[in-house]
Amino acid sequence: MKFVLIDRITELESGKRVVAQKAVSLAEEYLADHFPKFPVLPGVLIVEAMVQAAAWVVRESLDFGPSLVLLKEARNVTYKSFVAPGQVLTIEATCSALGRQESSFSARGHLAGRDIAKGRLTLRHLTLAETDAGWEPVDQTLRERHRALFRLLWKGCPAGQPAATSEG
Amino acid sequence: MATRPREEIFDKVRQALVDALSVEEDEVTEEATLTGDLQAESIDILDIVFRLEKAFNVKISQEELAPRDVLSNPEYLNNRKLNEAGMAALKERVKHADWSRFEQDPDIDKILDVFTVGTIVNFVEDKLASAN
Amino acid sequence: MRWIWFDRFEEFVPGERAVSVKNVSLAEDHLHDHFPGFPIQPASLMIEGMAQTAGILVGHARDFTEKVILAKVKRAAFHQIVRPGDQIRFSARVESMSDAAAMTRGEIRCGDELVGEVDLVFSHIDQNVSGLEFPEENFVFTEEFMSLLRTYTQRDTERINL
Repeated sequence: MKFVLIDRITELESGKRVVAQKAVSLAEEYLADHFPKFPVLPGVLIVEAMVQAAAWVVRESLDFGPSLVLLKEARNVTYKSFVAPGQVLTIEATCSALGRQESSFSARGHLAGRDIAKGRLTLRHLTLAETDAGWEPVDQTLRERHRALFRLLWKGCPAGQPAATSEG
Repeated sequence: MATRPREEIFDKVRQALVDALSVEEDEVTEEATLTGDLQAESIDILDIVFRLEKAFNVKISQEELAPRDVLSNPEYLNNRKLNEAGMAALKERVKHADWSRFEQDPDIDKILDVFTVGTIVNFVEDKLASAN
Repeated sequence: MRWIWFDRFEEFVPGERAVSVKNVSLAEDHLHDHFPGFPIQPASLMIEGMAQTAGILVGHARDFTEKVILAKVKRAAFHQIVRPGDQIRFSARVESMSDAAAMTRGEIRCGDELVGEVDLVFSHIDQNVSGLEFPEENFVFTEEFMSLLRTYTQRDTERINL
């Protein structure tokens, strides 16, 4: 499977908050196992979507400096309902702290306002070259990959609306 | 055996809520409602009850907070709302909660909304006292 | 991709604890996205490995009559990265079990290294959740999971001599 759990970024306040979407489709193969005759988005993939949404806030804010943004800790993630194929889950992640090496977020997933899940995340930010300069080319590849993916997911604000990011 | 001062009980209850709900300490006030102000889900209530059991070395069953025999007794219910007899039975069984607001709309699906931090502290205090 | 995030049980003490292992392999698609040039097992999929291991432990204790689902991740903390060729071990133990919920605590290790800690709460599907209807039969515990448990319980015959 393509391990991209965010399909679109709809709002982005630099360093502060992101609103993104994950569309669920029967074409996603793992749904056949989760569950047979009752396909629903697995709870851990909701966590992954939250992590990826929050990671976009980190990357955009730090100008894609850290090559890896990973989950360090998830706390009190509760699930209230399910997301089925054909539905689009909205993920909101709000940043409570953003440092060079770590960040904290509270995240929420909802379906048209109805609560699906919420939780708290701490992310760690890494640059491989800081461990060993030999990793620099890999860092570069990762940075480029994420810049390209970001351009795909975030088209900027719709015309006629005020800019939400520090970028033009 | 001396009973624990209420303040000590409050501190431990507050810690359990902070750990289970990721809320800030200063959000945990006596009047704060668990499901409203602190945004606890029903699964969080189970988590909190378990933490309290461990913290105070007591056994707490959900029955003591939301007695199923009252809440699912057809004689006490009118369309998922408690009638007068049901309300009286509930008050008799769960003495710590302030039922005045619930009485205005005794919807059994909203029963957990009544519980405040203070209610829980009173509940634990009573449990510890009766254990002595 | 199949939604099975561990490969084999190594220990299974009903109602108490279970240990399973998962091999991380470059043959797995998702690693090529996470990340290109630096494949590492996503933390979220390690949470799932623990959830499946612990979930079967909880489900088994109720004879698989209940549709056990993950209701809360109390805490999932990660200390090491996991790479292709690594074998990770999930150790889960039941902390409490009642009609309403079950709580488990667990550790993920790679060799002697502590990779992560995952504490979970399981509940059962409620008929009225989100207005979705679902089938009567227990779709949570699929044949694949039952087969993993059978393989463990019949491990004496596992080595079939060719």
